[in-house]
Amino acid sequence: MKRVLLFLIAAVASLFDTAGIVYAHHSFAATYFEDQTVTIDGKLVQFLYRNPHSFVHVEAPDDKGVVQTWAVEWGAGGQLGRDGVTRESLKPGDHVIITGNPGRTPEDHRVRMRSIRRPATDTAAEFSWKGVVQ
Amino acid sequence: MADLRRIGIRLLPLVAALIGLPLFGQVVGEFIPDTGLDLSGTWNPLLHEDFPERIPGPELVNYSGLPITDGSRLWGESWNASRLTMPEHQCQVHVSPYIYRGPLQLRVWTERDPQSQKIIAIKNYISIYEQTRTIWMDGRPHPPTWAPHTWMGFSTGKWEGNILTVYTTHIKQGWVRRNGLPESDQATLVEHFIRHGDHLTHVSVLTDPVYLTEPLVKSQDFLLNINAAGNWLYPCEEVEEVAGRPRGAVPNYLPGQNPFLTEYANMFHLPLIAALGGAETMYPEFRKTIGNPPAAPTDPLALAEVTPRAEKNKSQNPNPTDGEVHILPVQGNIYMLVGAGGNITVQVGDTGVLVVDTGLAQTADKVIAAIRTLSKDKPLQYIINTHVHPDHTGGNEKLRAAGVTITGANVAGDIADATKGAAIIAQQTVQDRMSAASGNQAGGNQPAAPADAWPTDTFLGDRKTLFFNDEPVEILHEKAAHTDGDSIVFFRHSDVISAGDIFVTTGYPFIDLARGGSIQGELGALNNLLDLAISKHDEEGGTYIIPGHGRLCDRWELIEYRDMVTIVRDRILAMIKKGMTLDQVKAARPTMDYDARYGAEEGFGTTGQFVEAVYKSLGGK
Repeated sequence: MKRVLLFLIAAVASLFDTAGIVYAHHSFAATYFEDQTVTIDGKLVQFLYRNPHSFVHVEAPDDKGVVQTWAVEWGAGGQLGRDGVTRESLKPGDHVIITGNPGRTPEDHRVRMRSIRRPATDTAAEFSWKGVVQ
Repeated sequence: MADLRRIGIRLLPLVAALIGLPLFGQVVGEFIPDTGLDLSGTWNPLLHEDFPERIPGPELVNYSGLPITDGSRLWGESWNASRLTMPEHQCQVHVSPYIYRGPLQLRVWTERDPQSQKIIAIKNYISIYEQTRTIWMDGRPHPPTWAPHTWMGFSTGKWEGNILTVYTTHIKQGWVRRNGLPESDQATLVEHFIRHGDHLTHVSVLTDPVYLTEPLVKSQDFLLNINAAGNWLYPCEEVEEVAGRPRGAVPNYLPGQNPFLTEYANMFHLPLIAALGGAETMYPEFRKTIGNPPAAPTDPLALAEVTPRAEKNKSQNPNPTDGEVHILPVQGNIYMLVGAGGNITVQVGDTGVLVVDTGLAQTADKVIAAIRTLSKDKPLQYIINTHVHPDHTGGNEKLRAAGVTITGANVAGDIADATKGAAIIAQQTVQDRMSAASGNQAGGNQPAAPADAWPTDTFLGDRKTLFFNDEPVEILHEKAAHTDGDSIVFFRHSDVISAGDIFVTTGYPFIDLARGGSIQGELGALNNLLDLAISKHDEEGGTYIIPGHGRLCDRWELIEYRDMVTIVRDRILAMIKKGMTLDQVKAARPTMDYDARYGAEEGFGTTGQFVEAVYKSLGGK
């Protein structure tokens, strides 16, 4: 019985191996509407490849057509690296289409990344990423 | 049944340890006997315990299971998650009572004296936020109340049977739950580390007189990891996440206007009162009071109509109580003297001594004695006054007389009589007020100070600089903050700021309207202080700030203080716009969530005086 219990504990521990988890300093549930999705289509201004989370800033119109600077929270450098995303994957000026969970404070124009796509151009191949930012 | 008995037996040491909590204490200077027990190794947490709260994060207004005060609840309801987008909040470390619930890797090792092999300390390295924690086992005392706080706090430990029991003080303000529920800087922590082979149980008992009505007991488990090749780093770099936010703006919800107040309760079909937490909601008896099925969530607007209750200040006086002046080394050339009224900053170097403020008149002799223990034979040459109040200028006359002006340093030594005493530097307004004839000080009621206490070297503009003790010293005037003559003194090489009464840890800012203070200037000054201060790592260390009163701080304390003053300003401004009178504003307790930490009902600088000063500064009639 004791051996079975130890096995179960070890199994659970391996499920939650902390090496692969990127910890948000904030609570996602408290920060974003996790049950809603928004799409923004615009020009990438800045790609901050960093910990604890990367950010892309995008100039894109809001639902009233007014251009805003959107802050899109992405994975940490480690998570993105495992997904094949590098600091060079995106460049300022790229046309990007992003879907994600909108932030709870509308005036912040904040989004939690769910997917990003850069259509192919004459000088750059198509780029896309989908995933869950943790 | 047999299993239950076995569990019960295993829990016995834990229960015994918990019962023994008030008995914690060790003889100062006594090494803790080496039991031969060892927690060394790498440990991984079992994250499935309370997983939703620990990794994705708690929902807004989910305060269930926590014995919070009414003030804590208001703090949480006012908290806007957007606050974490501010650069100064992005790298906030989770304090020691909270951090063990993250997906950390925990490395434990023991440090021994190389000569005696006695255990000096048990160390923890926590991968999240890259925190190194020291649990002292050599019997050293905890630091004085005026020493700085850190994310991990100051810990001492002792073995109780096979349990390592740890007592921690000097913890920074942080989270009880990271959906906006605060843990105050007055909290203390008792922990029990219990090893069963490859399994480590960590039990923590958090006591917070400011924001908890009873101790909060939590436990979490770890497994030994013999192949710890995971990620041990967690660099955090603050960035500008939200573009265009006005300088000094602090996102917050006005009381009663949190749009998410009932979201969690609705999602899980709970009565709102259960989601709002409090000690009474933690026990099984509570279920009998909420009906079956539970009542629907309460209308949040109705809750906003509830008259807030006053909360008494529950914080510890950080000043010494023995009537003596104490010296605290800060860093570089700088020391802090406490126990003389306002805090005094002392810069000591090869050239001489410079002090910022001189404390109360009656403690001047003790201050001079303290300075002499630091300066040896070096002369006191400069005194800088941060403002006019007598708890900061009362010692001017005696300290000046104990000092000297030297040609080549103070530069005026060849002027007749100029070598008499140290130079006293202040913004011109300070001299104007100190020298005015009795009863004629503009807006004041203090008699004129003795002439030998007046500033001798004033400046008219916003900035004066010195180079003294091989260090650039900037004196920066704040026009209308605590008073109209405030100066911030920045020691650029030592990286220490003397803030005067613009920043205190002992209460709300005292805005002296009669002497030209204002809430706008106070907030401007606090934001200017923030601009000067740079943290070493994750909002800890780096620039140290000596407040006018209270303990030595770094940037984090300044951030939380600025946030508090801004939020109270926002509330009172909204009340003025609604046409509320001063009495109505005071009755609405716009400071309720901070009163248990900063409030005062009587004496100097009451909560009422602070609210009135903000109200009048903002044009309230």
